[in-house]
Amino acid sequence: MIEVHDVRKAFGAVQALGGVSFTARDGQITALLGPNGAGKTTLLRTLVGLLKRDHGSILVGGVDPEQDPMAVRRNIGFLTDQFGLYERLTTREYLHYFGELNDMQAAALRTRIGEVAELLGMEDILDRRAKGFSQGQRIKVALARTLLHRPRHLLLDEPSRGLDVMSTRALRTALNALREDGSCVIMATHVMQEVTHLCDDVIVIAKGHTVAQGSPEELCRRTGITNLEDAFVSLVGTEEGIA
Amino acid sequence: MKSKIRIVFLKELREMLRERRTLAFLLAASLMYPAIIGLLLNQMIERNTRTEREGIEMVVIGGAKAPTLMAQLRERSVTVTEAAPMNEDAIGELLRAKKTVAVLRVTDDYVANYQAMRPARLELWFDSSTESGPQRRDVEDILQAYSSNIASARLLAHGVSPATLSPIELQRHDTGTNASRSAMVIGGIIGILFLPAFFLNLSAAVDSTAGERERRSLEVLMAQPARSWELVVGKWLAASVPSLLGVTLILCVAHAILRWLPLEEIGMSWNLGWGELMLVCLVTVPLSLLSSALFIGLAMNAKTFKEAQTTVSFVTILPVIPGFVISFMELKTATWMYLVPMLSNQTLVKELAKTGDIGPLPFVLTFLCALIPALLVVAFASWRMKSEKYVLGV
Repeated sequence: MIEVHDVRKAFGAVQALGGVSFTARDGQITALLGPNGAGKTTLLRTLVGLLKRDHGSILVGGVDPEQDPMAVRRNIGFLTDQFGLYERLTTREYLHYFGELNDMQAAALRTRIGEVAELLGMEDILDRRAKGFSQGQRIKVALARTLLHRPRHLLLDEPSRGLDVMSTRALRTALNALREDGSCVIMATHVMQEVTHLCDDVIVIAKGHTVAQGSPEELCRRTGITNLEDAFVSLVGTEEGIA
Repeated sequence: MKSKIRIVFLKELREMLRERRTLAFLLAASLMYPAIIGLLLNQMIERNTRTEREGIEMVVIGGAKAPTLMAQLRERSVTVTEAAPMNEDAIGELLRAKKTVAVLRVTDDYVANYQAMRPARLELWFDSSTESGPQRRDVEDILQAYSSNIASARLLAHGVSPATLSPIELQRHDTGTNASRSAMVIGGIIGILFLPAFFLNLSAAVDSTAGERERRSLEVLMAQPARSWELVVGKWLAASVPSLLGVTLILCVAHAILRWLPLEEIGMSWNLGWGELMLVCLVTVPLSLLSSALFIGLAMNAKTFKEAQTTVSFVTILPVIPGFVISFMELKTATWMYLVPMLSNQTLVKELAKTGDIGPLPFVLTFLCALIPALLVVAFASWRMKSEKYVLGV
């Protein structure tokens, strides 16, 4: 479970987060909706302890990332807006590196690499070097890295971008499996269809503030708009900055 | 559980080994570098020994007019070649061909003047832009000595002591030993032996920091359960490997070449054994560590590989400066020199080559003077990577 209460963060005069509060429960996929520049990246970086908050509290599985960032990170799978691949390493070597960094044992790591490769349908690129990978292949590798150490919490920044239909379905299956396992998944996305199909809970943030939290149905009910996209626009309060 | 430093180190090393250019460069530098030094020294030895063996070559025009002088020259191992009279241009041509040290022309009125006890003129033609200066001076000395002998004989014939001609007597004492002479040349060679410590690791250090940032993989790495100092130390040690291997290899190959060359032929010495060389290699390890630390500390702040290369390239000039200043100001070896990284390594080997035994202090100082700043720079880089300002720029 990830509990965030009134988190604020300013960079000089710029208030990136002006008061974000939400709870993402275990066994649920929580969508993080917000226009570009709403503070999603800052929020995610604060959750893994890369940035320090100015105010408020954060608990990731009961641990404050500022107190013990290592313990928090061991339980987090973080998919950033960049894939972070190494072109001179094969997929297997890449996954091995991050598995080791997450304290996985060699034997368990070998088995697990096979598992995630099967889950994401990427056995064919396991022993190829990342140079020349397509966008879809890259994000699969990055996703595999995120899932590798079976983190209790997943922070995914637009995980479905660049994926073809088959891979999107594979991703959806993977996310559903994680939910069954009781993981806590936060997924930043701009695809409303994905939210309606997949997510149990939605957090809407705009200009560094939490605007609303609830299930897609609740958000529609509250705004009195049946279409989630229109409801989102109404919550954000402007049509500016919708990607 | 494996240490995070080791994990990062091995991964960086693996990536480095996949870069063919780095490896090719490392190998080429390690072998070519000492080979070129060996070749240069060998040529020096060849040149010096050849002149000793073959004596001085000189062309004489009209030598038949001065047979005693010719005999004197031959006696002093000057190879005299008789030539037909020639004009200035022909003489110039002959000197440019460098087959002869000088051309001696005995003037037409030489015999008449000699017999009349008037100064008999000899013309010595030479090219001062060639390297035969010392040999030319030898010829002049022989001519001078010949002249003095005749003068003495003439004075004696008039009942005057030849000693009146020499109010002073000059004795030359050269205290420069073979070893101290060699220190100059060897010092120059040694100066460049350690330089690779500052360029063999450049691409590895820049690639693992600025390159990683440019490829946008650094944020992912920093979000892993590894402390920033563990990441920095892993990358730092990995970047040091090519420098460390390269410099050690270069020192070993150069040592083998310097020992094998007949350096005593040109008054040089290389009084190092393999044991001392191993010690030198060991105390040189921190030099590679220091250069890698500097490169990493600087390159991590650059956003792209190219930008980093520009910022970092001035560091490669730094190590040359102290050695240059020392030789420019002609400073004598002093203990403080062992406190300046790079200069300390150069001084150490220079002194070892000269005297062979210098005690443990220079070794210890050389080791520490690079290691301590290296650790400080790494600590700074780790602190910097953890800072929020850095995270935001990633």
